[in-house]
Parts: sequence; C-alpha cells; structure tokens
Amino acid sequence: MSTLHIGDSQLDASWFLLLGAILFVLGAVGVLVRRNPLVILISIELMLNAANLTLVTFSRQLMNIEGQLFALMSMTVAAAEAVVGLAILVDIFRTRDAEDIDDLSELRG
Amino acid sequence: MSNQTLALLILVFPAAGALLLAGRGWRLPRAFTVVIGPGVVWASFAATLALFFGKASGDFTYWTWIKSGSFEVPFNLLVDNLSIFMCLVITGVGGLIVTYAVGYMEREDDPSYARFFCYMDVFVFSMLLLVLAGNFVFLIVGWALVGLSSYLLIGFWYQRHSAVVAARKAFVMNVIGDVGMILGTFVIFVNSHAVIFSAVFGPLRRGNQCASNGFCDEALRRVTDTPSLELAAFLLLVGAVAKSAQLPLHTWLPDAMEGPTPVSALIHAATMVTAGVYLVGRMHPIYEVAVYAHAAVAIVGAVTALFAATIAIVQVDIKRVLAYSTMSQIGYMFLAVGIGAYSFGFFHLLSHAFFKALLFMAAGNVIHAMHDEQDMRKYGGLWGQMRPTSVAFLVGSLSLVGVIPFVGFFSKEQILGAAFSKPDDSAVQLLWFIGFLTALITGFYTGRMWWLSFWGKPSPQRPVEHPHAPRLVMMVPVGILAVLATIGGFIQTRALGIGPSAVSDFLNPVVGPVRWEGGGGEIAVTFLTMILATALFAGALRLRPWSSYAPWAQRLLERKYYFDEIYDAVFVRPMDWVAGFALRDIERPVIDAAVVDTALVTRAGAASLSLTQSGYFRNYVLVFVAGAVVAAVILLVRAGS
Repeated sequence: MSTLHIGDSQLDASWFLLLGAILFVLGAVGVLVRRNPLVILISIELMLNAANLTLVTFSRQLMNIEGQLFALMSMTVAAAEAVVGLAILVDIFRTRDAEDIDDLSELRG
Repeated sequence: MSNQTLALLILVFPAAGALLLAGRGWRLPRAFTVVIGPGVVWASFAATLALFFGKASGDFTYWTWIKSGSFEVPFNLLVDNLSIFMCLVITGVGGLIVTYAVGYMEREDDPSYARFFCYMDVFVFSMLLLVLAGNFVFLIVGWALVGLSSYLLIGFWYQRHSAVVAARKAFVMNVIGDVGMILGTFVIFVNSHAVIFSAVFGPLRRGNQCASNGFCDEALRRVTDTPSLELAAFLLLVGAVAKSAQLPLHTWLPDAMEGPTPVSALIHAATMVTAGVYLVGRMHPIYEVAVYAHAAVAIVGAVTALFAATIAIVQVDIKRVLAYSTMSQIGYMFLAVGIGAYSFGFFHLLSHAFFKALLFMAAGNVIHAMHDEQDMRKYGGLWGQMRPTSVAFLVGSLSLVGVIPFVGFFSKEQILGAAFSKPDDSAVQLLWFIGFLTALITGFYTGRMWWLSFWGKPSPQRPVEHPHAPRLVMMVPVGILAVLATIGGFIQTRALGIGPSAVSDFLNPVVGPVRWEGGGGEIAVTFLTMILATALFAGALRLRPWSSYAPWAQRLLERKYYFDEIYDAVFVRPMDWVAGFALRDIERPVIDAAVVDTALVTRAGAASLSLTQSGYFRNYVLVFVAGAVVAAVILLVRAGS
C-alpha cells in the first residue's frame, strides 16, 4: 500500500478508497430505499461525489493529473444532471403531489 | 374517314355507350338511356356498313400493348370479309334486339333499365372485339369479356336465386373454354413464336406448300409440326365448344334462359354462341392441317344437333325449346365448318341469327303479354288474339324447320347437302344421316311448340284472358326480322343447284371455297328432308303420344340425359367433399391452429416480458445495481484466479 502526503501528514490511500466506497454504498442504498424524489436526487449526488473522491485518490497515488481532470468533468455532469432532474421534479410537483416515487409509474408495460 | 378509323369506331361506339350508361345513365331521364342504348349499336352498324360498301380489308395496328424482347402484342384489328360479315350480323341483328329491349324492359325501374342497356352494350362490344381482334391475345380478351357480359346479363335479375345460379354456371362453363383457348394459344406460340394471326397463318400456309414440294427450312418445318397443331386445334375446340354450348359443355345454355328474353335473343342469335363457329372459321388454316381435330368439330356438331333436338321434344318452357333448338342449329354450323364447308356454316349462322332472333322476340312478345308465364301448355289460342306475333312466330318456325322459301331452308339444306355429297368420305355420310334425323325431329318439336302455343282453344290455366298487343318498338324489329327470314334466303340459293351464292362468294376469299359440287341426288334428298320435316311439323300434335310406349325415354329426355346429375356426381360433389375435407381436417386443425397458436405464444411471451416494465423507478435501479454487483463479483473472481 502506498502512502499519500497531504500537507505535513501522511495517510494511507486505502482510507480514502474505503471512505469513497462507504459513501457510494450509502448513496446507492439511499436511491434504492428512499421514496422522496428529492432525497433520491441527493443520494445520486452522494454516489457521484464518492466516485470523485476515488478518482482524485488514484490520481494522487499514481501522480497522474487525468483523474483530477475527470473529477472536474464529473462535477460538471453532476451539476447538469441536478439541473435537469430538479427541473423535472419541479414540473411534476406543479401538476401533482408526488411525495412517493412509486406514484410516478405511468410507463408500466 | 379512313378504314382504320372506321374499324376502331365500330368498337368505340358500344364501349362509349356502356361507359356513359354506367357512369351517368341512372341519374338522367329514361329518354337518355333509350337513345344511347340502341343508338350506339346502330352507330356501329353504320360504321360496319361503311366498311362493307367500301370493300375494306386490312390489318390495322393501333398501338403496341406489350413489348418484351422479341415478344410483341400489338392492338391490331383484322378487317376482312369474315370479320365484316360477323360485325354485320352482330350489330345488325344485335341492334334490332337492343331496340326491341326498349319496349320489353319498360317495367324495370330507372337504374335497372340503364344497367340493362349498359350490359347489352358491353356484350356487343365484347363480341365485336372478339371478331375484329387481329391476334390471339385480344381474341382471348374478347372471348373472356363475352363470358363476363353473359354472366352479368343472365344474372340480371340478381334478386332471383335461380338466375344467380344460372349465371354462375354459365361463367364456370365459359371459363373452362377460356382455359382451353389460352392453352391452345400457348401451343401455337411455342410453334410459331407469334400471336398475330397473319404472322401465325402466313408461315403455316407457306409451310404447307413447302411440305408438298419438299423444300422446307427448319423454321417452317417446326411451324407445321402436325402433332402440336392437333393439340392446339383440340384446345381451341374446347373453347369453341364451351362458348357455343356444344357437347359436353352445353349445360349452361338452357339455364341461361333465366335472363330477360332480349338477352336470350342476343346470346342465341347475334352473339356468343356463334363465337365457336367463328373461331373454327378463323382458325381454318390450323384445322386444314389438324385433320383429327377438324373431324372432331364435325362429330361434336352432328351429335350435339341430334342430342339437343331430342331434348327439345319434351320441354314445356317455350324459351327452353328455343334454347335447345339453338344448340341443335349451332351443331349444324359445327358440322358444316367441320367438314370444310365453311361458307355454308356462316350462311347458316346468318340465317339462324335472323330466325332465332325472330323466334325469341316473338316469344318475348307472348311472354310479355302473358305476364312472364313461359309454360306453353298454358298458352293456346293466341292465333286469334295476337295475330301479328303469331304470324311472325310461324315464319320463324317454318324457317327453323327448313320450309322453302324461308331462309332456314336454304342454309340448312345446303349444309346437309354438302355433307351428303362430300366425296370419298363415308363417315361424313353417317354425320349427314344424323343431321337428317335431326331435321325431322326439328320439324316435330317446332310443330309441337307452335300448335301448343298458338292454335286450339285458350288453355284454362292461361294467366291473361285478353293479351295486350305488343308496343310498336317491340313489333317493328320482329316485323323486320320476319321479312328477312322470309326473303333472306334468296341471297344464296345454291341448295337448289341454281341461283346466286352471295354469302359464299363474299367469304370464300377468306375461308376458302367448298371443294366439291353437289349433284342431282343432293337436291332430291333436300326435298325429301323438307317434305318429311314439314309433315312432322304439320302433324306434330296428331301423332299418337309416343311417350306412352316408352315412359323411360321420356324420363331420360326430361332429365336431359342426366347430364346435370352426372356432372353433379362427378365434379360438383367430389369437389364439395374435397373442399369440406380441406376445411375440416386441414384448414381448421392445421393452418388455423398454427396461426392462432403463433398469436397465443407471442401474446404470452409479451405478457411475461411486460412484467419487467413495471414503471417503478426503484425496480429498475435495483436491477441495475444488482447487475453492477454481479459484474463486479465476476471481475473480482477473475482477478483473483
């Protein structure tokens, strides 16, 4: 295992990866089990940021700038996704009350 | 106007009339139909007369219909003496009949009235196309159109079940003939690689010449290949037999009496049934080579003549008697063209057109006055009440029997005489004897019809006490035909050995002369036939009822030799059974089941697949995540190993 130098302190890289994994699983479980659309959106953000953390960690570990660039890119996408998702939600809330994501199931086969 | 335009106009008039009546006729006043319906036929007659007096002949090509490589079908009309002769009969006699129909059909309502004349014009057009066509393809087109228009007219009263059945029967029988025609054309095309008459018959003539002097190239030898010409001639004969209601495809003609009487007159006199005679005459270069098929034509004709005449003895429906007499007379024509006396056959065609149209229209007057009663046992005593019609019918009857000086005498006796005196052919003498017997029977059944219907006291079952006189428009065509049937024979008195022979002189350039001369014996036989037939005509009702001696014979004749029953048993019922079997045991359990089961499987599959489309967002995510987990596990396991 390699050690990362952050300021004066040293920390093992696996701690960051573990944090990323925990955040990701929290997000995924949030998407699966929560019913409020807004919370689901927030959970998705959590998953994206967990991925960002992993990217940045590996970037530092491998001394390769591409991972950091990709994290920036991912944030942009997350912002765009949040805009679109929130806009849809706002529109749905205007016409009806949708506290439960299961109510939005008109596209059933 | 050029001959080319005139020839096309003959066809255009009736076609235009039919289209006008089909499109607008029933919305316009009846006067419109009355003018257009017969008018266009008379216009065609005028155009034909112009060609006739202009001594026109030629092969006029108007446009190319099909062109594919070396195969070419032009639309060409063959104008020669034969086609002009046929056109004169069709438009002249046809015009009289359509004019007569103006009065006969007056009880129909306006749409039916216009529809009737539309069909009549289509009929005349089809027949004209048939005789004018200059190639086999348009001959078949006209041939099939004649079948179609007869179907439409026989089934004119489509609310009547029997009329619909009769129309269907006529159509099916005609289609059998059409198939024969088409197959025959194929054989001819394989032989000579042409469908135009002149391109087929020209090499055939040259081939016959070179076959006699021994210098033939390969192409000409193929053209005159006798077995395939025999095949073609027999196949064409199937077409002729079906259209002309000869044995064994005759069963449709008596049933065709379900149509209105003018239709019967048109089918029997001017158009349709004469098509077979025309066909054999037109194809005579083939029949000259195909001797077996040519003999078959004569045999079919003679046998049909006798066969139909015997059935006519026991019929009680006046139109059915006339129908069987038509079959019988067409049989004479077949006999004539079958023994090579083509122009005699066509003279009888002309004479038959006169007196049979006359008989049908006079019978139509009676039926009209009797409120559609057709059983002649229920007439009687009309001589005193419908004198002009009775006289006309008598003229037609005497002509049919062949009494001098009526037209039927000259034409029929000429055919019998030619058969009697044909040299070096004893088989033809046998055919003559059949024709002779037929002539006697004709005298008997015609006499029975005439005396029963017009003489004696009115039958107690007669539907009308005082029959009304026919309208002028119905009487004038009858009168004209009565005059023609009386004096028309004097254009060709060769049956007596002297005098003019206008029809033969006119047609011989096309169909060739009759190659033998009659002698004194022929004239003696002619008068013997006439005297015996006339005696039978006069004494038809005084003979002791023959049926009491032979009730089985009467039953046989009343059942028309069981032809309908035999066809029913041999063709209709087995086909019914096969169709029923196919429906019960193939269609429903196999084909239907396969289709239905395919649908069921598809539907069940769709139902199970649609379960995955639950519409619940979280379901989709769960599947997605589970998939990701499985993918990750697989990757880990593989990385570990």
